[in-house]
Amino acid sequence: MKSLWLVILAAAPLVAGPPTVIQNAKVLTVTKGRFDGSIVIRDGKIVEAGERVLVPQDARIIDAGGQYVMPGIIDPHSHIAAESTNEGSISVSSMVSIKDVLNPEDIAIYRALAGGVTTALIMHGSANSIGGVCTAVKMRWGKDASGIQLDGAKSVLKMALGENPKRRGGSTPFGVSATPARYPATRMGVEDVIREAFIEALAYQKTWRDYQAKLKRGEKPVPPRRDLKLDPLVEVLEGRMLVHAHCYRADEILMLLRLADEFHFNIKALIHVLEGYKVAKEIAEHHSSATTFSDWWAYKMEAIDAIPYNAALMMRKGVLVSLNSDSAELMRHLNQEAAKVIKYGGVSEDEALAMITINPAKQMDVDNRVGSIEPGKDADLVIYDKHPLSNYAKVQKVLIDGELYFDRDREVSQRTDKESRKKALLEKAREQQKRQGPPAGMTRRPS
Amino acid sequence: MKTLIFALLCSLPLAAGTDDSFLLRGVTVHPVSGADIPNGAVLVRDGKIVEVGAKLAAPKGLRIIDAKGLHVYPGMIDSATEMGLSEISSVRETNDTTEIGDFNPQLRAIVAVNPASEHIPVTRANGITSVITMPQGGIVCGQAALIHLDGWTWQEMEVRPSVCMNLRFPVIQGGSGRASFREGMSRVPFAEAKRNYDRRMQQLYDFFEQARRYQKAKAAGSAEVDLKLEAMLPVLERKLPVVVNASRERAIKEALRFAEKQQIRMVLAGAEESWKLAGELKSQNIPVLLGPTLALPAQEDDPYDKPFTLPGELCKAGVKIAFGTFSTSASRNLPYQAANAVAFGLPYQEGLKSLTLNPAEIWGLADQLGSIEKGKWADLIVTDGDPLETRTQIKQMFIKGKAVDLENKHHRLYEQYLRRP
Amino acid sequence: MGKTLILLLCAASCALDGAAPAVFAIRDARIVTVSGPVLERGTVLIRDGLIQEVGASVAVPPDAWVIEGKGLTVYPGLIDALSTLGIAEAAATTTITTRGGGRTPALPSIPSTPAMPSETPGPPGLPSIITTTGPPAQGPEDRPSNTSWVRAADLISPTDRRLESARSAGFTTAVTFPPRGIFAGQGAVINLAGEKAGQMVIASPAGLYLTVSSGGFSSFPSSLFGVMAYIRQVFLDSEHYVLAKQAYQNQPAGTRRPAYDRALEGVLDAPRLLIPAVRAVELDRMVRFAAELKRKAVLYGGHEAYRVTDLLKKSGTPLLVSLRWPERSRDADPEDQEPLRMLELRERAPSTPGALVKAGVPFAFYTEGVSTSRELQRAIKRALDAGLSSADALRAFTLSPAEIYGVADRLGSVDKGKIANLVVTSGELFQEKTQVRYVFIDGLKYEPLPETPEEVTR
Repeated sequence: MKSLWLVILAAAPLVAGPPTVIQNAKVLTVTKGRFDGSIVIRDGKIVEAGERVLVPQDARIIDAGGQYVMPGIIDPHSHIAAESTNEGSISVSSMVSIKDVLNPEDIAIYRALAGGVTTALIMHGSANSIGGVCTAVKMRWGKDASGIQLDGAKSVLKMALGENPKRRGGSTPFGVSATPARYPATRMGVEDVIREAFIEALAYQKTWRDYQAKLKRGEKPVPPRRDLKLDPLVEVLEGRMLVHAHCYRADEILMLLRLADEFHFNIKALIHVLEGYKVAKEIAEHHSSATTFSDWWAYKMEAIDAIPYNAALMMRKGVLVSLNSDSAELMRHLNQEAAKVIKYGGVSEDEALAMITINPAKQMDVDNRVGSIEPGKDADLVIYDKHPLSNYAKVQKVLIDGELYFDRDREVSQRTDKESRKKALLEKAREQQKRQGPPAGMTRRPS
Repeated sequence: MKTLIFALLCSLPLAAGTDDSFLLRGVTVHPVSGADIPNGAVLVRDGKIVEVGAKLAAPKGLRIIDAKGLHVYPGMIDSATEMGLSEISSVRETNDTTEIGDFNPQLRAIVAVNPASEHIPVTRANGITSVITMPQGGIVCGQAALIHLDGWTWQEMEVRPSVCMNLRFPVIQGGSGRASFREGMSRVPFAEAKRNYDRRMQQLYDFFEQARRYQKAKAAGSAEVDLKLEAMLPVLERKLPVVVNASRERAIKEALRFAEKQQIRMVLAGAEESWKLAGELKSQNIPVLLGPTLALPAQEDDPYDKPFTLPGELCKAGVKIAFGTFSTSASRNLPYQAANAVAFGLPYQEGLKSLTLNPAEIWGLADQLGSIEKGKWADLIVTDGDPLETRTQIKQMFIKGKAVDLENKHHRLYEQYLRRP
Repeated sequence: MGKTLILLLCAASCALDGAAPAVFAIRDARIVTVSGPVLERGTVLIRDGLIQEVGASVAVPPDAWVIEGKGLTVYPGLIDALSTLGIAEAAATTTITTRGGGRTPALPSIPSTPAMPSETPGPPGLPSIITTTGPPAQGPEDRPSNTSWVRAADLISPTDRRLESARSAGFTTAVTFPPRGIFAGQGAVINLAGEKAGQMVIASPAGLYLTVSSGGFSSFPSSLFGVMAYIRQVFLDSEHYVLAKQAYQNQPAGTRRPAYDRALEGVLDAPRLLIPAVRAVELDRMVRFAAELKRKAVLYGGHEAYRVTDLLKKSGTPLLVSLRWPERSRDADPEDQEPLRMLELRERAPSTPGALVKAGVPFAFYTEGVSTSRELQRAIKRALDAGLSSADALRAFTLSPAEIYGVADRLGSVDKGKIANLVVTSGELFQEKTQVRYVFIDGLKYEPLPETPEEVTR
């Protein structure tokens, strides 16, 4: 409890705080090569990074002890920190928003932080052809819901193709019987659903444009009814909202690219896109990008042709590629996933690291702020005790906006404190329970 | 014909060798059972390791494989998979792991192993030479098999067709366990969950009782053959170890008590909270088949690195550990489970052992597998570095001395689409 | 002569306490007015259902029935700020099921980490009943789970068995709501006694009761953010509805008429919204949500409010705090480990009222099924032990809820002119030994039921 408030106080206005200098580090900038030296941070931003820097007099020094510093890892596809994942009752649920249900107290945030992640895009699930609006957050453990949001980041609309959005078309999901079927039941239907939605959105857009025109003419018409489902679709059409689409098979990937072409919008990123390597050319031509798993396969029919060379192959064919976790567990070791792209496909170290930093940043349109170690960017940095592409590397410290949000030494030393606090409360609760009598159904305690 | 040409190319100009005999030299040998040998050699004849040393003479006519600058390790063993029993996890028709009924000790996984499963070449491409493939249904699931990842038929693949009995220890469902759905879940009250659990435990105890009576009756010559109970005899005789899957502290405690009572040779599997009972595991000499290191902590308040430090903690307490991926499609990542444990405190050599010699010993196959030692099968991997590191490439693999083709579907698709104009 | 005859006839015709004479005096009692200083020795005069006079020296008219107040304390009648009392159909389902188990699927407030089963208590507020009849809803336009036009005032039954036990615990008033659905309906401030339902109603509508429950996977909404999007859409629709109706009114000729939508009529009628929020994350979320809806809101639940008092203060949002303090579910696995976060909430929830007082956040209590005197005492004691003064505890049952619901001009304190709702006790209210002697509702006297053995052993 106390520590929560302490962290909140510590994270208060950064303007007042002294500058920070990380010294004696092996710095992996990702975009500008690597060097041995220092990074100067002021007001949450990197102001200088190089072999020799000007150290301000009042600077707080973090001695990296020869360890590695890289940009904070960015996960463009996660479901942590949200109290809802799917509005799966209908096929187009663009009216829902992750922003409404953010949970900044999800322990998964802290665990991701301890795995080097500093930014994540929190997504609607893949139960529907068109899902809800997704929000970018930073792993600012201890802040409230507004405090974890990445301000100014563009919103992202989720779409999903393939098996997941058609799963409820007639079959019984999760063993629940007598659930009414929900259209669509086929990949053909998925296209239909998306097309219908955008046709509707165009008509809606027109009613508002007509309204605006009438206003300009001095008339006083009743405005059209605002439809929260169609608002995000219009934003997509007008380029103000990004689209990230979950997909697997080459045919559905192509379908979506063609459909987007038809409606003149861009598919900013294809998610999972496990057969992306088969249509890398088309993906590059559409100026889309890919965010994929390093080596998951064979868990669904649509994943049988998934190959761990996917990322490298798409990259070689000109597609911007990143890795994502879609998992609170995988999120903790994305650096190790990046190493797999070197193993399978022979990409360079910087290319691999780019897939978990600057590339996802580009897919979220936040690459001006995060994703590499360059002056002007947010001081989101991770210190590893070994090269991050080694399986033996451990995260030592994580800074977000120049503030230390994770410190392994401090965390380890605080464990006994937390344990004793918990023990005290449990004792108290046990005493209380004894006074209240045994819980229902317990005839003997298991020994 | 091809083999002959290959042998000719590889051997001295004179006579051709057999394809499971060779001298591998110029490598750093990591026997696991002893000190590393830089610039060493391994001599293999008829599939068996005959000699391991610093400088071995090349016998006349034997094929020589020069692997300068590379390393040779024992092939790795994944002690928990569904290899060959499951192709696509979400497609029922491709799964043969889960039979109907709670007590099926007579079921044998080996006969359902599909030697043409894509998972086999994909998995061995990263250095795994053998796996245990396990049935999964009910409480007493059936007999798991330890197989080599090479062979035209399952019979050619089998190392030990019945290597252990898989047992999924009952848990109090609804009370413990993770809610998979966040929304709209109704929970089973503890009292009801406990009743169900007690019932299942009673069934388990009764089943073992039945087996014992059958054992007595058989000894007295008065038993009609009962396949299920027949299959329990090696368990009762402590010839067949029982893999008991239990994760949480309470379940593990109950499992230990059960094992002691039933006098079975137990191996604890899953074992998420086994760190709480390390002492007991040591004193009862129970090895642990660890679930994936790369996992989330069991409890919200557990330290974030608990699953990573667990293997090291058990090892320190003197418990024998082996790693298993409990997966088929992710079996190729077995070594990284060990790597993450090493990062967080497990000594490197122990990590390596837990992938090779430890499982061999636990499964009673240390005379055949698990290290580069005279008399064992030549299950070897030649690498360009530490196999626990991701970027290491497996250059060559031998199973029973035969070179194994590391080509697989993934690489084929890669090549194919690389060529797409 | 005639008058006396009538009076005698009246006196003769009352067999029960309900139909008592119209004039009462409680003489020389200790009077806790709540609105002002305590009168150590004073008299309250009741006439025609209203407080006619209250003071240190009040002349008692000859026609008054006098209660000698020595040793007694008079308080304003207690108000249960969120309830289903009086709604007969809710009585059948209001055996408060234990939280976390056995209830119909409702949206649990659990975070996205693997859930601990004995975790957070179920959703706050009234027992929610979700009925899914008919085809699944396809979106907000189908108005699922919406009965916003239903008025509790229309559903009151004076013979609801629960009224008697509520009165016995000192309650004279409840703010009662229809409990069913997401847009459940309009509440009413009611007195807990009356011959006819209409006589019981003090103010209606009192507010629109909202829940975030959802039923099942197949009907919209099936998730928390689905519910929030739905609520948001309905409020947008209601704004548009007003404009559309107005425009049609001004110029019906040549204009397509807007469809009548009773759900929107209901939403527009509401003087305030009641929105659930228990955990700090939820309180934060709903304060912002209410601001976005641009409607006056009252949050209910409130257990983790001790962490966000500044936020509440700044937003000016009042809070209804449930007296059903979070506790480990009886159904829970005794060996289940609960996270520290849960244990701390349980430990510190009762400190919320004291923290709210300190921060100046208006709040009131509601019982949420904590209905017997003994249970109430225990629950309130936890708040008192954690820093709430008894004066503030009392206010949270009287003047504060009256203020929150806009009826403080007629209810909530022992003041001249206000409705004669009083509870008369043998000592300090909420103390263990204290007993409720009488309860006055609309100036009529009621006596509490004797305590049943079950209640005593709890």
